[in-house]
Amino acid sequence: MPAPKIEFRNVTKIFHTRSQTIVAVQDYSMQVETGDFVSIIGPSGCGKSTLIRMLDGIIQPTSGEILIDGQKLDTSRRLPRDILRRMGFIFQKPNLLPWYTIRQNIALPNKIMGKLTKEDEAYMDSLIDMVGLTHYRDAYPVEVSGGALQRAGVVRAMVHKPEILLMDEPFGALDEMMREQLDIELLDIWKNLGITIVFITHNVEEAVLLSSSIYVMGTQPGRLLERVEIGLPRPRELGVITTERFAAYERKLTGLIGKLELKNIK
Amino acid sequence: MRKASRVLMSILAPVLMFTLLFGLWEFICVSNNIPKWLLPSPSAIFSSMAANFTDFFPHIMISFGTVLAGFLLAVPIGIVLATLITSSKTLSAALSPYIIVLVTTPLVTLLPLLMLFLGYGQKVRIIGVVIQAFAIVNMNTCTGILNVPVIRQELMQSVGATKLQSLRHVIYPTAALDIFTGVRLSAIFATTACVAAEYVGGNEGLGSLIIKYAQYLKTTESFACIFFVTIIGLFMYGLVSFLQKKVVYWRT
Repeated sequence: MPAPKIEFRNVTKIFHTRSQTIVAVQDYSMQVETGDFVSIIGPSGCGKSTLIRMLDGIIQPTSGEILIDGQKLDTSRRLPRDILRRMGFIFQKPNLLPWYTIRQNIALPNKIMGKLTKEDEAYMDSLIDMVGLTHYRDAYPVEVSGGALQRAGVVRAMVHKPEILLMDEPFGALDEMMREQLDIELLDIWKNLGITIVFITHNVEEAVLLSSSIYVMGTQPGRLLERVEIGLPRPRELGVITTERFAAYERKLTGLIGKLELKNIK
Repeated sequence: MRKASRVLMSILAPVLMFTLLFGLWEFICVSNNIPKWLLPSPSAIFSSMAANFTDFFPHIMISFGTVLAGFLLAVPIGIVLATLITSSKTLSAALSPYIIVLVTTPLVTLLPLLMLFLGYGQKVRIIGVVIQAFAIVNMNTCTGILNVPVIRQELMQSVGATKLQSLRHVIYPTAALDIFTGVRLSAIFATTACVAAEYVGGNEGLGSLIIKYAQYLKTTESFACIFFVTIIGLFMYGLVSFLQKKVVYWRT
């Protein structure tokens, strides 16, 4: 049996600030199979963004192990490029650099990793076409709408052909219609490229629509509370939202998160 | 049409202000019959600038050379030191106190000592300009670098960028406006530092001419030299503003 694509083994992350010690993530374990689409949901401050930042080497865990394809990562230092190359990170904001055009922004990972061959450029242009950014490729970010910017952010994370996409509430700042449209586009990308996706969101509907399984996290300390398998058939279209099975998953998850938030208020 | 009138106003406004100020100055001098040695009229000063230009020219070039050389050394020194200081707490602890000491010590108090050690030539004046001008670039660059959003640094980390790649692709461009604020101020500081150095020692450059003419009550010529210093300062300021528009193109 092949090793899971991603594995967290009892990972804990503690932040020490001037005034307090915060347990952002406590004893977190998770296994994500190759080609899976997994969401992590939970209230603000539950450590869900910290999790994928630890996986991408942006933050170092305090204890525990993180493995990719069964290989333990040396999280005591910055991850080497050959590991980072296997992952793409999509931020909450598009996070494009205003001094580069859309195409230059998208090319950045390849440029930094020291490789931008003719094939890379052709692949990049095919991705740009796929997400409908063809007319914006030479525009600067300030000239482009929010939806197009976020699409560019998604493509930038995929341009170096990663095996894993880490998405930190990527469509959270967009309006409902744009978010739904991008969710469906993301499902198409996932189906076409066969990559493994770890998706962070606080939107239950989005998590159910996209995921094969959802990890629900609680706060204080940030920890895994429950894993919910989503058995909805694929491929999924927006229409699935109106089905009774979808509503049942949504009610279950909303109930879980609602209890958490009530507990936080108390 | 509206754009054309905006451009016209942006040209007309400073011209009108200039005419008003210098017209008032001229009027006060002429109507009160103020002697030239006390306060020359602008027209007398402009006449002197034109009539004595060949005498002034070598000094203008010496002062301009000092300002430019000092400025061109101060800017990279300021930026490199800021990069080092912001990248390491140890370097910051080692270097920052000396930069603050240099900033807070008035240049005119250092210049006589520098001249005692190094002589009265142009080199020592350039050193004076560098001391005065690099610190403001340094401080503004530090501010710019420290204000780079975390999310941009994370982007660089997520693609495995080296420190140099982060500087090139994210840190310097993000800090560019702050850096240019420092560079623009340092262009002004370089001019004032140059004149201060020429006041203190040596017999070349516009600063030394201003002192010489003032001693002989040749106030018109003294003012003419001050105007040339102002022109050098304005040129430097304009040059940096022009460069900023070209370099920080995404903010224009």
